[in-house]
Amino acid sequence: MSNSKLLAGKTALITGSSKGIGFKMVESFASAGADVIACVRSSSDSLQQHFDFLAQTHEVRVNMLCFDLMNEDEIKQAMHGLHLSKTRVDILVNNAGTMTSALLGMTSIESFKSTFQVNFFAQVQITQYISKLMMRQRNGAIINIGSIAGLDNFSGYSAYGSSKAALMQFTRILSNELASYGIRVNTIAPALVDTPMAEKMGVKAAEGIFSRSAIKRITKPQEIAEIAVFLASDNASIINGQVIRADGGM
Amino acid sequence: MNNVEKYEKVFCECFEISSSQLKGLKYQEVVAWDSVGHMAMISALEEAFDIMMETDDIIDLSSYEKGLDILMKKYNVKF
Repeated sequence: MSNSKLLAGKTALITGSSKGIGFKMVESFASAGADVIACVRSSSDSLQQHFDFLAQTHEVRVNMLCFDLMNEDEIKQAMHGLHLSKTRVDILVNNAGTMTSALLGMTSIESFKSTFQVNFFAQVQITQYISKLMMRQRNGAIINIGSIAGLDNFSGYSAYGSSKAALMQFTRILSNELASYGIRVNTIAPALVDTPMAEKMGVKAAEGIFSRSAIKRITKPQEIAEIAVFLASDNASIINGQVIRADGGM
Repeated sequence: MNNVEKYEKVFCECFEISSSQLKGLKYQEVVAWDSVGHMAMISALEEAFDIMMETDDIIDLSSYEKGLDILMKKYNVKF
């Protein structure tokens, strides 16, 4: 099998596919030969055209699945739809996320809750459904997108960092629970990635983060997407329960 | 194979017990029906009846009889 078709014959479900890392992941997974279920909050013609283009270019299927991670019922309906359509899912990438940045005293409890809903509870709910499909298949790879903010101590990221830390510990525990079913669970913990989310931080804050890394530059979404492709592939068959720092050396 | 037979088969195979042991069987009464065995049994039930069970129902399925009740009432499985 050529290196470029590492994921031929597999189907990947990727959340947060409309922009940033997820948008690039759809491209990388399709390029690696995987059919992709691209999960987005809402569809658009331009997004559909892009996914159609990727499908045609890489001779795979790229199907858009719309649901809101803030809404448990929508998640449930979307997952039931996959079951009813007998869709096989070999790879789950819990990529979608939201970021809030403010000092603790300026972060409302509602902000904590909504951040945790998107970055943690929604990912847990999706994983509950998809891991059961994978258990039946006795095979699967789950990749969670964490953050160095969940590992290191950046002021102003108590909500975001805590939610990512929860997701990363979830990874470690799940990797143990699901290993006997042939399911691997890993996390990628990026530093600052060149995405719309990073733009919201402002130049000064962004420079402060990536100046700490040995490489001293912002991460490209493609670089995270390629790590995810590797972790999803059989080439990573012995890697389980890990948090892979993708931070340029911090 | 009818649905009762399918249901019994799942229990017998997952927990390595005979059908004579099924009546009144409760969670953790046999060694194999621990939490890991429970999830394996849920996976087998989902496959046997082509359903996707909700987490609340997975937690509630605490006995052989309770499982029959949940499958009938929540997932329209006819026994």
